[in-house]
Amino acid sequence: MAGAVGLGLLALPGGAGAAPELPPVTADELVASVLTADVGAFGGTVELDNALGLPALPGMPQAAAGDSSARVWSDGEGRGRVQLPTDSGERTLVSDGETFWAWNSEDQTVHTAPADKGPAERESAVADPTAAATEALDVLRASSEVRVDGTAEVAGRPAYELVLTPAATERTLLREVRLAVDAEHRVPLRLTVLANGSTEPALQLGFTDLEFGPQDPELFTFTPPPGATVEPAPEDAGRPGGPHGGPLGGKPEGLPDGVEPTIVGDGWDTVAVISGGDLGGALDDPRREGAPEGRPDIDLSALGTPVSGPWGSGTLISTAVASAIITDDGRVAAGAVPEQVLTEALGQ
Amino acid sequence: MTTAVLPAAAPRSAPLARLLGSELTWVLRRPRTLVMLGVLALIPIVIAIGVTVVADEFADRRGGPGLIGAVAGNGLVLPVASITLALALLLPMAVTTAAADAIAGEAASGTLRGLLLAPVGRLRLVVMKAFGVLVVATLAVLVIAVVGVLAALVVVGAADGQLVTLSGTTIGLAEAMGRLAVVVVWTVGQLAAVGAIALALSSLTEHPMVVLAAVLGGLIVFGVLTAVPALDWLQPYLLTSGWTAGADVLRDPMPWGGLIESSLRALCYTAVGAGLATHRMLRRDA
Repeated sequence: MAGAVGLGLLALPGGAGAAPELPPVTADELVASVLTADVGAFGGTVELDNALGLPALPGMPQAAAGDSSARVWSDGEGRGRVQLPTDSGERTLVSDGETFWAWNSEDQTVHTAPADKGPAERESAVADPTAAATEALDVLRASSEVRVDGTAEVAGRPAYELVLTPAATERTLLREVRLAVDAEHRVPLRLTVLANGSTEPALQLGFTDLEFGPQDPELFTFTPPPGATVEPAPEDAGRPGGPHGGPLGGKPEGLPDGVEPTIVGDGWDTVAVISGGDLGGALDDPRREGAPEGRPDIDLSALGTPVSGPWGSGTLISTAVASAIITDDGRVAAGAVPEQVLTEALGQ
Repeated sequence: MTTAVLPAAAPRSAPLARLLGSELTWVLRRPRTLVMLGVLALIPIVIAIGVTVVADEFADRRGGPGLIGAVAGNGLVLPVASITLALALLLPMAVTTAAADAIAGEAASGTLRGLLLAPVGRLRLVVMKAFGVLVVATLAVLVIAVVGVLAALVVVGAADGQLVTLSGTTIGLAEAMGRLAVVVVWTVGQLAAVGAIALALSSLTEHPMVVLAAVLGGLIVFGVLTAVPALDWLQPYLLTSGWTAGADVLRDPMPWGGLIESSLRALCYTAVGAGLATHRMLRRDA
C-alpha cells in the first residue's frame, strides 16, 4: 500500500543522506577557522537530545532524558531571541540590545532585566550550539587528539566532522566529543558527546534547521502583551545560567552570586569544587521551566548513592558523562570524571 | 478528433451529485449526529464559563498550566484550545460513529444489501460514504470553532480584540482568524485519517460497535505507546503523536514543521484506510 510506504518514508530520520563531498581540510585549519569564525545573523531550530541518565527532577524537564527543542534567532550584533516551546506553552527570551525580556506563557508574566547585566549573552549560549561548541573546543583542544573524521549533513548543510578524543593521560568518562562544523561558515552546527561504553550519544545539541542571513528585525523587539504582568527580575530570576556542559567548559554558570568554584585539574578531567554554596542553586538546572520563585525541593538521597572517604562523606550522583559528589558539609565537586578523581579533588 | 455523444451511452447509474446529496441528508437527519454536534458545541461554552468563573474568583492568579490556562483574559485562544482538547477523544468518536454507521450500521440493519444491488458503482458507493464521514468531521470541527469564537468574544473577552500568542506577541483579529482556519483544516485532515481507518474497519464487519471499540481502543493504545520511552522509535508511525501540533498556531512566528509532518502522516493513514475500504467493498458480497 502506498500509504504504508509513505509512513515508512516519513519515519526516516531527516538529513540521513549520503555524506557530502567536501574539499579536504586539516584538523588544525578547521579548528583555527572555527575559533575565528564570525557567526553573523541567523535563525534556526536547535534540538537537544539528552541521554545523560539524570533522574527527572521537579521543575527541570530538560534535565531528564528526552528531546527538547528551542527556536533561536540572532542578528549577529548581540540582539537575539530564544523560544523554548512545550506542548502547551512557551517561554520566550528576547534581548533587544537594551533590555532582556523573559516571557512565560504559563503564568503570563514578563521578567525584565537590563541587557548589560549579560544574561542575554548567557541565554543565547544556552540554546546556541555554536557558542557552546566553540567554548568546548577552545577548552579541550590542548588535552585532546583532534582529527577530521569525514563529513556529515546537519540541518541540510554540508559539514565537516571534527572529533576530539581525550589524550591517554586524561581520566574521563567521555570517549569523544564530535563537532559538526559548517563547511561554508565554519560554525559548529552540532555537538555530540559520547561516553565510554556506549555507542549512543549521551548528549547531542544541534541545529535541525538553520538559515544564515539577516532576520526580521521585529524578532528582536518585545512588547509585553495586554494583560501580562511585568516584573523587573530579582537577582536570580530570568537568568537561567549556562549550558549543561558546565563540567566540560570548566565554567559552571547559574551559580548563586558570590560562590566561586575552585577548578582542580585541566582539560577533560577538570573538576569544579564549589564550597559554601547554596546547594539548591548549584543543582539548579540552567533551563528549568518552573517559576523563578521558589527552588524545587530536592531529596538528594533519591538521586544518588552515599559515599564516604578521608575527605568526609556525601552523596554521589553519577550520569553517563559526569559525576558529582555533594558532601554533607555543603561542598560540591563535579566533573566529567569517575568517582575517584572527584574524591582526589575533594581531598586537596 | 471530436467526441460524439451517443444517446445510447447515457449513464446508467445515478449522478454522483445526487448520491452525495442523499447521503448528506441521511447523515444529517440522524438524531445522533445532531446530538453529537450539540455536545461538541458545549465544549467551548463550558471552558469559557469555567475559565471566567475561576478568573473572577482568583483575580490575582492569572494563567496556569496548559492551553486552558492561557484562555483567561485571552479569549481567542479558546477555539484552538477547545479543538485541541476535543481532538483527543471526542472528535474521533464523532467521526468513528459516522463511519461505523456508514457501512457496518447499514449492514446490521440490512439496508447495505439494497445499496450493493442498486445500479451504483461500488467505487461510487465508497466515495459517497467517505463524503458523509468527511462532512461530519468538518461540521464537528466548524461547530467548535464558531461556537468557540462566539464564546470567546461574549463570555471571556479578548485582550483588546487581539490574540496573545504563547510566545508573548500580539496578533490582530484577522490573523487570529486565519490561524484558526489553519487549525480547522489541519484537524479535519487528522479526522479524515481516523475516518478512513474507521471506514475500512466498517467495511470488514457487520457490527458498528466493533468499529467504535476498535478505533477508540486503538487511539488509547497509541496514547499508551507514546508514553513508553522504550518505544519512542515507534512515534513517527503513530497518528496521535503529532496531535500536539495544533497548539503551534498559537506560537509566533508560526512553526509549520509539526503541522505539515502530522498532516502527511494523516494522509498516509487516509491512503491506507481508503485503499482497504475500497478493496473490501469492491469484493463484498451482497
